[in-house]
Amino acid sequence: MPDDVREFARQAREFLDAHATRAEQAEFRWGQGEDTVAYFNADPPDVKDVKLQAAKDWQRTRYENGFGWISGPPEYGGQGLTPVHELIYNSIESEYDVPDTGTLSVIGLGMIGPTILAHGQQAIKDRYLPALYRGDIIACQLFSEPGAGSDLAGLQTRAVLDGKYWVLDGQKVWTSIARQSQIGMALCRTDLNAPKHKGITAFLVDMTAPGVDVRPLRQMTGGSDFNEVFLSSVRVPDDHRLGEVNAGWRVALTTLMNERATVGGERGGTVAEALGPERLAALMRATGTLDDGALRRDLSDLLADLLAAGHLNRRAARAMRAGMTPGPERSVAKLMHAQNLTQAAHFVSRVLGPRIIADTGEWGTYAWAELLLATPALRILGGTEEVIKNILAERVLKLPKEPGIDSTSPFRELPRSGKAAS
Amino acid sequence: MNDGREELDDLREAVREFLAAKSPETAVRAAMETGHDPAVWDQMARQLQLPGLALPADYGGDGFGLTELEVVLEEMGAALLCSPFFGTVVLAAQALLAANDKAACERYLPGIAAGETIATLAVAESSGSWEPAGIATRAERTADGWALTGKKSFVIDGSIAGLVLVAAEAPAGPALFAVRSGAPGFRHEPMAALDPTRPMAALTFDQVPGELIGAEGEGGQLLNQVLDIACVALAAEQAGGARRCLDMSAEYARTRFQFGRAIGTFQAIKHKCADMLARVELAEAAAREAARLADEAAAEFPVAAATAHICSSRAYMFAAAENIQVHGGIGFTWEHPAHLYFRRAKSSELLLGGPAVYHERLLARLGI
Repeated sequence: MPDDVREFARQAREFLDAHATRAEQAEFRWGQGEDTVAYFNADPPDVKDVKLQAAKDWQRTRYENGFGWISGPPEYGGQGLTPVHELIYNSIESEYDVPDTGTLSVIGLGMIGPTILAHGQQAIKDRYLPALYRGDIIACQLFSEPGAGSDLAGLQTRAVLDGKYWVLDGQKVWTSIARQSQIGMALCRTDLNAPKHKGITAFLVDMTAPGVDVRPLRQMTGGSDFNEVFLSSVRVPDDHRLGEVNAGWRVALTTLMNERATVGGERGGTVAEALGPERLAALMRATGTLDDGALRRDLSDLLADLLAAGHLNRRAARAMRAGMTPGPERSVAKLMHAQNLTQAAHFVSRVLGPRIIADTGEWGTYAWAELLLATPALRILGGTEEVIKNILAERVLKLPKEPGIDSTSPFRELPRSGKAAS
Repeated sequence: MNDGREELDDLREAVREFLAAKSPETAVRAAMETGHDPAVWDQMARQLQLPGLALPADYGGDGFGLTELEVVLEEMGAALLCSPFFGTVVLAAQALLAANDKAACERYLPGIAAGETIATLAVAESSGSWEPAGIATRAERTADGWALTGKKSFVIDGSIAGLVLVAAEAPAGPALFAVRSGAPGFRHEPMAALDPTRPMAALTFDQVPGELIGAEGEGGQLLNQVLDIACVALAAEQAGGARRCLDMSAEYARTRFQFGRAIGTFQAIKHKCADMLARVELAEAAAREAARLADEAAAEFPVAAATAHICSSRAYMFAAAENIQVHGGIGFTWEHPAHLYFRRAKSSELLLGGPAVYHERLLARLGI
């Protein structure tokens, strides 16, 4: 470790010692602690609000002490250091008990912040970047549409120029944290006569503007972690445009590339805890299945995959600390993450038997239903398994693209995505 | 991903280049018929000093770790190198080191490091089990040492090894013994093998003089230690073999045309290849990380070793089978190399006991 990095690590510890307490590695005891294994946030609304405020407060504390945007440029409130410093800070912070800032960081700070920095106009950068990284505002991503899922470039939300404003009309879907967000990054169709990838423009939309209607979408777990966002004649000033007109696809790629840089698949919280070898063994002990040969074999199969995925992520993190850029093969981690959690939920259901189909009140049993019902989402969100496999095959293994996908004809001449007419 | 260590890339490149020249498919096929090529073994020792790479400098080695050896083994697995390397350098040398017997290490390791000694480790008997508790071969004290009586099976390179380390049951418990292949009462018989690139032999011991290595009764612990390292070494070979199967499939998918287009344009083929890639990446990460943890003497090493063995076994078997499927009919011919990988994948999966054993091994290492 070079001296300046060592000094940075020392400062980070000093800051954290002053503002947070060290996480205590509580010894696990069956029947003790929170009885939840939720992938999606299962907190009641009032608890969610309290946690969100705590997250914003903590981000502000980080920012005011120089750890809010470690790799960002100083003119917008960053520290001008490297992604390596950021990784080091994150790894040190993980030793402390601090609020989970995922609502702010995963999309807003991790993906949209870097996009604004790369493609935003001066006034927008000045106005939004410090506010984002100080934790004052939250950003969401308005990409997917009912007719544009895997075929994102088939999006149909229109943006039409009217003087110095663009007028947006359309519908977005699967928008996380739309209700908590003050700004959203929207991809809109601005030229019907251009090929599909070349008629899209990106905008920063004020989520409180007239015409923005956010409706919670209830997913199959019963919770509402996503939203539909209806845009009806929403007026967006031209200085809120990101990148050039009709160059929105390139802007979107910046956003998605930063998604990959936030090393995929690593997720702490109740799920990761519940999937530890000790916890799973305790579950089998509690249900009297620890000697079941078939289940032991399933357990070992599952643990081998979970442990190996951990190795994959650790090695990627180490390579990034050594200054390497993560390549498309990082998508393997996402694929494995979805597979492993799905495998885990079904393994646990075999261990629990009827105890996962109705609640006996026993600690650590029915709580798994929440994860079980979340698993189908993991193979879809952030790029379906099928799209990810295409990317791996084409970008990593250099297999040829499928013929017949038209990316040259004007968008208006293409068959519409969505549901086929019956 | 190399952890940012460029010297590992250089090592990999050197070994790959050497194997491309010395172990092309024609050489592999020739070795399947007539055994390994002693000239290549000699060059590996003299030019690349591979046998001594990860042996301590005190015993004539270069003092590198499992991390470096892992890279070499990945390449050997990819090239299906037919060589006594695994038996000699991994099994036998690691058994000597694990025995903590300085005199024995001084006697045998320099010869191994220099490529002068071909050695192997004989543990399994007719059941194929590596469990010390199941060993029926007996060691008895004689006037001037020990005498071994019993039978061993599945002994890698058992017909060409000059030095055989034998796990046997002594009065005070399992122990390791060194036997010279020319010793009286020692017989070897080649076994017909599913994977002719890794020859195996059945050995018979009839009052064969042996030399005790390490302490009497400590053979069980010693074998566990050797097994952990063997798991990682084998996982490296398996990961390398699986990667080669994936490369073959991807190359074929790019160049084979049906219905007027490359078969790689079909998602059925793309997704097969992507699934192979995912498993190969996972196997490589597991094997490389386990090797790193071994070199750091980390407490998690035994768990990581068992994990690597499971992941690499599955990845290789999957990739070898899917590789034949991607190739279609041509992949099922004797002339095509796909079956050689299929054979190696299956024999590697089962060499140390297979799924029936390795699942419990992982759980045992985790204390479950």
